[in-house]
Amino acid sequence: METVKINNNISLHYIEMKKLKTTVAGMYIRRRLCREDASKNALIPYVLKSGCMRYPKIQDINAQLDELYGAKMSTGVIKNGDNQVIFFDCETISDKYAPNGEKLISGLLDMLFCVAFEPLCENDSFKNDIVEREKNTVKEKIQALIDDKRSYAQLRCTQEVCEGDAFAISKFGEIEDLEKISATELYEHYKKMITSSQIDIFISGEANIDELSMQVKKYTDSMEFSECERTESAKIKPCNEVKKVTEKMDVTQGKLSIGFTTELTADDDRYPALVVANSIFGAGTHSKLFMNVREKLSLAYYASSMLNKHKGIMSINAGIEFKNFQKAYDEVILQLNELKNGNITDDELNFSITTITNTLKSHYDDQRYMQLYALDGLYLGIDTDLENYIDRIMKVTKEDVIEVSKYIKENTVYFLTGTNGGEE
Amino acid sequence: MECIKNEHTNEKIYYKKHKSGLNIYIMPRKGYTNSYAIFGTKYGSVDSEFRVPGEDKITKVPDGIAHFLEHKMFDQPDGTNVFDSFSRFGGNANAFTSFNMTAYLFSATGHFEENLKVLMDYVQKPHFTKESVEKEQGIIEQEINMYDDNADWRVFFNLLGCLYKNNPVKLDIAGTVESISKIDDELLYKCYNTFYNLSNMTIFATGDFDAEKILSIIEGGIIKNNPFDEEIERVYPEEPKEIASPYKEVSLSVAMPKFMIGFKDTDTGYGGEKLLKKAIETEILLQMIFAKSSPLYEKLYGDGLISPDFYSEYSSQIDYSYTAIEGQSANPKAVYETIIDYLDELRENGLDKAVFERAKKVIWGNYVRSYNDIEDFAHKFLTEIFKDINYLNYYDTYKNISFDDVKRRFTEHFDKQYSALSVVNPV
Repeated sequence: METVKINNNISLHYIEMKKLKTTVAGMYIRRRLCREDASKNALIPYVLKSGCMRYPKIQDINAQLDELYGAKMSTGVIKNGDNQVIFFDCETISDKYAPNGEKLISGLLDMLFCVAFEPLCENDSFKNDIVEREKNTVKEKIQALIDDKRSYAQLRCTQEVCEGDAFAISKFGEIEDLEKISATELYEHYKKMITSSQIDIFISGEANIDELSMQVKKYTDSMEFSECERTESAKIKPCNEVKKVTEKMDVTQGKLSIGFTTELTADDDRYPALVVANSIFGAGTHSKLFMNVREKLSLAYYASSMLNKHKGIMSINAGIEFKNFQKAYDEVILQLNELKNGNITDDELNFSITTITNTLKSHYDDQRYMQLYALDGLYLGIDTDLENYIDRIMKVTKEDVIEVSKYIKENTVYFLTGTNGGEE
Repeated sequence: MECIKNEHTNEKIYYKKHKSGLNIYIMPRKGYTNSYAIFGTKYGSVDSEFRVPGEDKITKVPDGIAHFLEHKMFDQPDGTNVFDSFSRFGGNANAFTSFNMTAYLFSATGHFEENLKVLMDYVQKPHFTKESVEKEQGIIEQEINMYDDNADWRVFFNLLGCLYKNNPVKLDIAGTVESISKIDDELLYKCYNTFYNLSNMTIFATGDFDAEKILSIIEGGIIKNNPFDEEIERVYPEEPKEIASPYKEVSLSVAMPKFMIGFKDTDTGYGGEKLLKKAIETEILLQMIFAKSSPLYEKLYGDGLISPDFYSEYSSQIDYSYTAIEGQSANPKAVYETIIDYLDELRENGLDKAVFERAKKVIWGNYVRSYNDIEDFAHKFLTEIFKDINYLNYYDTYKNISFDDVKRRFTEHFDKQYSALSVVNPV
């Protein structure tokens, strides 16, 4: 990755991926995740993509993208540890495939800047009707979080594990905060956001980085910036008592989610061992959860575990019959204890390492993943080189796995069950 | 090997038909870290009634059997699971069943040849027992239950149920808890021996490798060598032009109603270039009418009738095709009426040639983009091959599509009497 520092706040990063037919431009604006700003930060990208000075209507923006052979521009917010990140993700076919020699990536970057930096406004405020409409859009997104039961259960469990911590805040914020936002207040917040944030622009694909950095410099030269905040993420601490949460909904299948603290985040030397431990336990068809909860006991179609590298937490998820709650819970804990006790076969260890490295290497073909991996590294203040990380994974031993597994501590048992509580 | 080239994307594919009947496609991709192979049979959830070559009588099997068979292919005679063999070589294996295809696949960033051998081997060696079939019924039941709670899945199948009176595309791919309880090992072998004959199968391998070398591994991995000398006869019930019902609604625990609006294609029964042409024409139309650059979207969204998650898609197959428009709305019936009114307006005022030209650019961009992800590309290529379409020759069809073609297609396809609305309401 090649980085050009545009100014104190903005950096341009180039990841050359010439084999691909497209070039992706991603812009990430780093804000501290806090209740006060969360709904404002979530609302801003929706307002921005509704129109800008040059392309005042949704139709205008999209017609211009269509002219660039159907270029894409999506926006939104993600959580990255204790940061709330406002992102713009743009993609075009690479210039060498432009049928008439058009400069597509430069055209797309130009559009991105118009949308992000030249919003449609009047009297030092966003337009009221647009803000009200987009408030409704974000409100619907918050409400729709219950629609996908698998991710909802996962989300709820994580919230419970992180109770009292910034990470418990939803990436969209809360509806009651959202409803109070005025167009003027949002515009004020927007100006602060643009001028006082770390902004990373990634280009992955094929482009002339010198030309593009000139373009960015020229565009941002006339803008004023102030010092920016850079929030570091805090780990979730283990608890003494396991929390039990049951929620009822009109569903056919129950969703079990168990949250654990691990005390280890990606900036820790022992983190690769935890990644391997997670794989042995529940990430993949070779894992203990898949082999036992699904294959041996036929309790679930899916049963898997995942880590959060910023917060030091792990969670498992399984879709099960209501009546099998205890059976599935017992089996998950039994398999975790197998891991902790070092009952790990050579195959389990080796399959896990090859599966992880295989997945990591496959990201060399994925423009968005390469951007997000680098972004994680920048925020965590660690090495952004994927190859080094792969090397560290390959060196993990069974002893390392057993050592880190002892930090995995049960925190919350969440169960989404039927409205009749699973009584049959 | 025959070599098919696409000069616009600088890509090529090697092809060979093996004497076993297997179609082999190999696509080298310089610079890619990942490699991928997919071994597919032209056999999906719609194929529950058929005549085996050489037999007189028609065989009818329970719904959901193609998917069940896919699950059971992972069992090995020694009691292990084939995932283990892939894991040994770092292969990430999977399989899927759609309406018209069942496919086994893996991706890997190393040991491609070893993984390929595993793939070739297990797909040609079924091992079904009474016990293993019974055990799978529990897992698939959970899969069916999972989809029962999935609003996107339900709204989709209810739409198909509205559009089709008899075509089995309206049935759930996994079948029902009841239908799969009738499946046994004997029925699985019957289906396997029919549809997994290599003359009904295609393999596609892609990655940064030498085509000749990969060909020799595939050929060396062929076990079965008894191609049918006639086609498997598939029996589909007669489908009238008319739809089954214009409206269907159910309730699930979702925040806001989800809807899907469908237009049943009444011009079906062919594949090949003719089908590709129809598909591109329809995709251009969908882009012109429903994209975010359209006046219709601006109106629907501006009036607060839809959320930004609003998509349209055309699904084309030889025996059935339809357009589906999906989204979320507090008032799906008003969305449906607005769309129908807008289509009437277009019929009256005519389509805009400048919008057609712009939409055609988008469609070309999408085609170039489809080469990016080697897995998606392999799926796309295979899906098209089963419809007798060579996806590499796309440009030849694309370039000849005129504004008049699209106007004609508009009149023919967007007819209110062949449309339906499916809604999932909150409880």
